[in-house]
Amino acid sequence: MLSPKAEKLINDYFNLPFKGLSNIRCPYFNNARRRGRGQLRALIGKGTPTEIVEEAKILSIQYHYDFFDFDGRCKLCGESKDANEITAQVRKFLIDNDLGIDCSGFAAHVLRAYFRETRNIDIFSRAFSWPVGTWIRRIIAKLRPAENLSVRVLANNKFSELISDGRKPFDYAQLKPGDILTMLETGPQNKRNHILIVEGIDAGKISYIHARAWSVEGQYGHGVSHGEIEILTPERSLLDQTWEELGKLNDTNETYLEAKNAKVFEVRRIKL
Amino acid sequence: MMSCNPFSPQLLDQALLYLICSAVGAFVLAPILTKILYKYKVTRRADYDFTLQGERAQKVGTPIMGGLLVIIVVTVITLLFNWERTYTYVPIGAMGISALLGAADDLMNIFGRHRRRRRSIAQTWTLVKVHHNIFWRIYYFLSLPWAAFRELTGMLGSHPGKGIQVHEKLILQFLAGAVVAWWIYFKLGSHWQTINLPFDGEIMLGWWIIPIIIFLVMFTANAVNIADGLDGLAGGSLLITFFGLTAVSWTDGRAAFTLLNATVVGALIAYTYFNIKPARFQMGDVGSLGLGTLLAVNAIAINKTLLIPLFGFIFYIEAISVIIQVISRRFFGKRFFKMAPLHHHFEFRGWNEEKIVMRFWLVHLFFVIIGVWLSLH
Repeated sequence: MLSPKAEKLINDYFNLPFKGLSNIRCPYFNNARRRGRGQLRALIGKGTPTEIVEEAKILSIQYHYDFFDFDGRCKLCGESKDANEITAQVRKFLIDNDLGIDCSGFAAHVLRAYFRETRNIDIFSRAFSWPVGTWIRRIIAKLRPAENLSVRVLANNKFSELISDGRKPFDYAQLKPGDILTMLETGPQNKRNHILIVEGIDAGKISYIHARAWSVEGQYGHGVSHGEIEILTPERSLLDQTWEELGKLNDTNETYLEAKNAKVFEVRRIKL
Repeated sequence: MMSCNPFSPQLLDQALLYLICSAVGAFVLAPILTKILYKYKVTRRADYDFTLQGERAQKVGTPIMGGLLVIIVVTVITLLFNWERTYTYVPIGAMGISALLGAADDLMNIFGRHRRRRRSIAQTWTLVKVHHNIFWRIYYFLSLPWAAFRELTGMLGSHPGKGIQVHEKLILQFLAGAVVAWWIYFKLGSHWQTINLPFDGEIMLGWWIIPIIIFLVMFTANAVNIADGLDGLAGGSLLITFFGLTAVSWTDGRAAFTLLNATVVGALIAYTYFNIKPARFQMGDVGSLGLGTLLAVNAIAINKTLLIPLFGFIFYIEAISVIIQVISRRFFGKRFFKMAPLHHHFEFRGWNEEKIVMRFWLVHLFFVIIGVWLSLH
């Protein structure tokens, strides 16, 4: 398991801290298509759970959606609706308003919380030295670290060290919570990058967390998610193990397919 | 009437008379103006106004441009009884320019069409690269600074609605500021090129006074405009401000400005009476921009330039809250306040409108009193 504060943060992404509401899983939102510039990070898929909740409240009031009052209480709760229906409506509201988290934003906040607690190191404080390009980009990264800690940066040798190529077998016992599985140039057109965080290793199972949108989940089903890789044949590569997420195994598991299709699939550890 | 003895009882007597006449005039005019505004449907609409929900939904349909009441009464009384080419015609003129700008914005917001989206720098640059006609490419290249200006100022605005856009507003406000700067620098003489420092004499600024005046006029006008978001907030705060300015001009023996400020106080008493929640009408840009400009001009003209942030304390705080929010949003991607300007932040904290307005009045009063006290030194 990750550290208590990191686990609390993960739990907040899985149950966004709305007053009087539970089980609102944070949806997935990637700014690549919308291309919002200079925006609030909660509106470009890089916000913390608290920021996403606060933004949802403000948007609801600002545009008369009537979901929340000024105190942040959900107005739907008083309408004797089914809890699942309320959850679905609030999630739809979040998704329709581009509120959610992308994979690297989720990884950035979780890893930050984890290393702050376990190593007393704030990974955002080193943003100026991240491999993001010119010095102007580095200044921007310093100002807006969560937005600039992309999968490419996380997968860069200056930021993290390679444990193994994901397509080759390696000693799975050396994996630790906080390690990352990076997938570069994946997706249908090999244009996407993706990242999973290793949450724990237990009894031959690697559990991971990430933010993702599977095509089978449709417009309103996506969000942060847990998955597991069961190591049944330790002498073979990760892609030869059993990947399970949402009850789907390997070729029906889109996370597995993303890893398989990625041009670069690596297991890495953050350099501190 | 240019100047008389400080603390002159005759001047005080005259100022009170102006105040009373102006208040009576405004009280008489208010119902007529309300009727006209209703007749021509110059009323508040729900489009793009996030505050009009819940309890505040009742504000939909309230007439705006109520600030005309103060602008008209002050202009008429000054034109008839306090018209001095040296002292009052430029403040009234600058107020008029800003009020016209505000009126155009108010009317366009109600009756205008949605404005076309601005061409961004990126779009302009693309046209520079791809347009088939070389002359158009040169034109687009030359217009890049203009596109940059529009984009930069656009960041300061909220919703690009139907009214005057931010860059257009800034240009016209610059014009109003320039008129005031010209008047003070060239017409009033070298004595007005100094800034009074409380306890410590004066600093000679020379031509530097020009950009300072332009900036102060633009900033103050917009600050009052920003603060005009809750019933009674801008009106009551302006009342306190102009009361302070009246007191200071009287203690300095500046007759024309004492009478002008007293006239504004009188009109604002009537305006605020009708503007307290539930408002019979709201100020609109016509009043907030006009009176904001007049505030700055009068404070500069009575040589209290450095004390403008105290006399306009709540307006400056509101404007600074917007600047902080924009910087925080654009540079750090986070909100500093739950919402800007500051009064909306407190609304989101659960304060009701009356509590915010009255507390803001009291805080403002306190700082205006400090301003008056510093003016005496």
